[in-house]
Amino acid sequence: MRDNILKALAKMHALHPWKMVIAVLIITIIMGAFATQLEQSMRWTDLLPTKSEKTIQYNKVINEFVSATNIIIVVEGEEEAIKAYTEAIVPQIKLATDPKDGKLYVKRIDYKQDIDFIRKHGLMLIKADDLQNMKELYQNPNLVPLLTNLNNSFEKEYVGREESISTREKEDSILIILDGVAHLISTMQDYSSGKTHSPEEAQKAVDKLILGEPYLLSYDKQAVIINVIPNFSMTDMSKMVSGTDAVQEIVDRMKKDFPEVKAGLTGMIPLGRDEMVYGEQSMGYTSIIAFIAILILLILSFRMWVAPLYAILNLVVGLIWAIGLTAILVKSLNIMTSMVTVILIGLGIDFSIHIISLFTESRSMGKPIDQSIEDTFLKSGKGILTGGLTTCAAFFALIISSSRGMKEVGIVSSVGLLAILIVTFLFLPSLLVLRERRLEKKLKEKRIKSKPVYQDISLKRFGRGCSWLSVRYRATIICAVLFTLFLLISASRISFDHNYMNMEPKGLTSVTLQDTILDKFDLSMDYALIVTDNVEKSREMAKKLKNVKSAAMIDEISMYLPSWEEQQKRTPHIQEINRYLSNTVIESNILDSELNQVISELDRLEMNIMEIQDMAYMGGQDKVDRKCSEIVGYPDNPQSLNIISQFIVFLENNRQSGLKGLKEFQKYAAPYFKESVLKMASTENIVLEDLPDSILDRYANRDRTQFLLTVFPAENMWTNLNFLQRFTSDLDRISNKATGMPPVMQELFRVVGNDGKNAAFLTIFVVFLLLWLDFRSFKYAIIAMLPLLAGVIWMVGLMYLVGMQLTVVNVMALPMILGIGIDDGVHIVHRWRIEGSKKIRQIFASTGKAIFLTSITTMLAFGSLVFSIWRGFSSLGGAMFIGVGACFLSTVIILSGIIGFLERKK
Amino acid sequence: MESKNRFITVIIIFTSLFLIVFYASLFIFGQELTAEEIISKMNKLMNQDTVEAKVKMTIITTSGEERVFIYDSYSKNRGEKNLLRYIEPKRAQGQAILMLNYADDIWMYFPRTKRIRKLATNSKNEKMEGSDFSYEDTGASDAFIENFSSKKLGSEIKEGRDCYKIEMLKKEGIESGYSHLIMWIIKDNFYPVAINYYDAESPELLLKTLIQYDIKNIDDIPTATKMVMYNQLENSKTSIEMLEVKYNVELDDSLFTERNLQRK
Repeated sequence: MRDNILKALAKMHALHPWKMVIAVLIITIIMGAFATQLEQSMRWTDLLPTKSEKTIQYNKVINEFVSATNIIIVVEGEEEAIKAYTEAIVPQIKLATDPKDGKLYVKRIDYKQDIDFIRKHGLMLIKADDLQNMKELYQNPNLVPLLTNLNNSFEKEYVGREESISTREKEDSILIILDGVAHLISTMQDYSSGKTHSPEEAQKAVDKLILGEPYLLSYDKQAVIINVIPNFSMTDMSKMVSGTDAVQEIVDRMKKDFPEVKAGLTGMIPLGRDEMVYGEQSMGYTSIIAFIAILILLILSFRMWVAPLYAILNLVVGLIWAIGLTAILVKSLNIMTSMVTVILIGLGIDFSIHIISLFTESRSMGKPIDQSIEDTFLKSGKGILTGGLTTCAAFFALIISSSRGMKEVGIVSSVGLLAILIVTFLFLPSLLVLRERRLEKKLKEKRIKSKPVYQDISLKRFGRGCSWLSVRYRATIICAVLFTLFLLISASRISFDHNYMNMEPKGLTSVTLQDTILDKFDLSMDYALIVTDNVEKSREMAKKLKNVKSAAMIDEISMYLPSWEEQQKRTPHIQEINRYLSNTVIESNILDSELNQVISELDRLEMNIMEIQDMAYMGGQDKVDRKCSEIVGYPDNPQSLNIISQFIVFLENNRQSGLKGLKEFQKYAAPYFKESVLKMASTENIVLEDLPDSILDRYANRDRTQFLLTVFPAENMWTNLNFLQRFTSDLDRISNKATGMPPVMQELFRVVGNDGKNAAFLTIFVVFLLLWLDFRSFKYAIIAMLPLLAGVIWMVGLMYLVGMQLTVVNVMALPMILGIGIDDGVHIVHRWRIEGSKKIRQIFASTGKAIFLTSITTMLAFGSLVFSIWRGFSSLGGAMFIGVGACFLSTVIILSGIIGFLERKK
Repeated sequence: MESKNRFITVIIIFTSLFLIVFYASLFIFGQELTAEEIISKMNKLMNQDTVEAKVKMTIITTSGEERVFIYDSYSKNRGEKNLLRYIEPKRAQGQAILMLNYADDIWMYFPRTKRIRKLATNSKNEKMEGSDFSYEDTGASDAFIENFSSKKLGSEIKEGRDCYKIEMLKKEGIESGYSHLIMWIIKDNFYPVAINYYDAESPELLLKTLIQYDIKNIDDIPTATKMVMYNQLENSKTSIEMLEVKYNVELDDSLFTERNLQRK
């Protein structure tokens, strides 16, 4: 029946080529219209099962929480310059507007702490234990008692709690205090030396001491973060691109006025934009590279250019059908399906090669056009159908995957390939017929009587080589087995790269700045997110998470909204501070004798900081050690600047001016200190409604009915798989709703790993079943399968030998190669059955040439992915390139040996 | 007469056989120690009356750099009193730490400021000087006997040695950083060649692994000259090498005083 259908189709092409061409073009226009609706989304979460809790929660976070998807501007340079640049660009960015609808892109920009809230409730935000230790500090703003109390609290602090500098948060809090102290000393020196007389400087020093640094500054003060909260989310793709571009334009433009500053964009939105834009671009140019490479190869192989052009045209039409069907079936391309175009180019061209190869061979033997078309359909049509349908079925097997990424690859690639297969049977033969008729007409018009000589374009030497292998079948089979064993051992050693950042485009600012943030702020952008239903649950969750050793820091609402019980515990301490401070009289003078006390307390302060520095050194706490060094110098370098010692020497040598300066400092600082602390000493209960939007948006959704916790990991998890597993299992133990990149990627590894295995087994089964049905013989099905199985082993073994690792993207190559690599064996075995015994040379010269060409074109198509800026695509391209080559070689060598063995047996 | 002699000979043979079997059984079954006995022997070994040592400790700082310290260590009353005096690097030279009452009280001397400060009293579970060891890990005093119950899990080859495998479970009401420990104790000499430490909050979570290498007999006491604590969670490790060790030396009580901290 199959032969009858193929004959009928051949007849259609011979009799009505124009009708076939027009019909195909009409359908192509319709499909093209659908194709224009296709979107692209490069989010890793889109690869997970749709019902995955991680995905559901992740999408919830993106949709509900305004600040969860943001644009982060990282500005680097000297402290004053980066602050000035920040103040300059913030107003500009606030006004950025979408030209399409005139709406502002930006909702809010956070680049400083919300000082107003802290000024009112600052003391209520300090833990009761810390208040107990530090309350002395707030009790007297006059200079001498202030310094004395500061020293007392230092000594009490690290005597009372040695763990003060042993955890991340405690380390950060001591760094804030040390920073305040450094600023205080410098400011006092400026007043003493007459460098400044401005009240603002004294007030700034007080603010630094009691409120900390207002800007979101890095530890080394060489970088600042500007957090831009947009009016759109990541789901609005066109705004994501235009909005990010608008902010980028402002950042770049303003840099011209600040040449000493570096600035760039990162965060979920710029990363999403880059992933999408570069994903589209790389698909574009890699497809073009693939087309050009294939066209050149075909021209060289067939020694003509029209037929190869027709093959490309046929492929383009097929791709339009494929993309149109993709738009109908899945609506949007994800990270994995974005690569399918190149896969379809590499595979789809194969059908055309077989058709052209057989057709031109027939014509070269002098057969008429309609006979040549019939021969083509009968001799290679079956092979093309079996090979094509087998590959489609193999890809379709991927729909059993639980991951959406692989499932959609299965749908898109199988349907796409089927579309190209159909187009090839309906379109290309008519083009060839029309071309041949035109040529014949031209020859007739020129009255050329002699038939044109068509060159024999089979690969004779290739055929001879395979014949040689088949004659020495024992050695061929033994060498093949030994080689397979060797590569099997190599394959068993291949490792898996869990670092998803290695899949992202290399060198992109949005990617490299994530490392900058990790380096400068000691904060990983790969945090986990947990949503709760209310503030109390958020607090309970945070309490549990604080015991989790794999978490470095938890950012949640109780930092600004302590529980009622906590606030009650803190209230007596605040009241005591209030009482004491209210009754404190601001001294108008500093006596000469008090100057000695100032010097003595500075001396004591120096010793306290030196001891903190030594403890930090012994404990390996480098950040604290470095911060102390900025104040008291490096112990290993006696020449290093010690600002306290320097100030003491100045005061001792310039008592009069020093005293005068300190009096002035006290005149401005002390009343401001008292006023500020009294304001901060509100014992009013903080409730949710008191929190300003700039704080609430970080932790609550728009309706304030859901609350977000951010969990920062203690380590870089992408270089330490154990840590990733620990972190995610710790989170799962506390909440099954934890999401964010770490849980998402961990789930993805698990799902893709399982899917890959299941899909591979199912593919092998499906392929074998189809071969069995096609050949109607178990023996021939096995013969066709053996080179495929060997080819997959060779592929993985060779990947290991060239230093490649398996990744969450290229692991897809394994089931795909099972569907692709079978083609070679199928064509050879089919041809062998048709031609009969002792025809190895001819089989491999003819069909061998076709499978050589199809393999090379497929390799070229996948090889073009190596040029992709997306390293994930590049790794897949490399794996498939090796895989297709391996399957071709294994087919040629192993089948030569097996055929030789079987024919000798006969 | 002849039959009588034969009878006596048979009795003697049977009696001898019986006695051989009896004492052999006694010998074989008598060797099966309980978990408590094993831990007791181990504890006695680990807590010598006095120890004087020169130690090299390598830690990883928060920046990921390796930092090496060398210090003199003195211990008395089976770990109740401890003094560490740093020799290298130059920056740490002269710093000293005094621990009394099994590290319940800790003082530190800072040579730069020439001051002695008393540190927190709740540091037992915290990291010791940036290392992956906590004060609790060393099992000073009879911590392993008093704070944990023990259970024998059988035998296992660990680090090439035939070992008893013992599980130590934290007793109720005891404060510890660990829910349980698994120890591998060498059968020959009752020295612990490896210890796994599990989290107090999540008992299935392996926090740290201690491996003791190069076990030599020093003053007839098995001593690991190299110990490595692997922090499984943070993928870090701290190694301690015993450059010199002496046991049961004369150590005066005055060595373990605040005053002595300041002496060089």
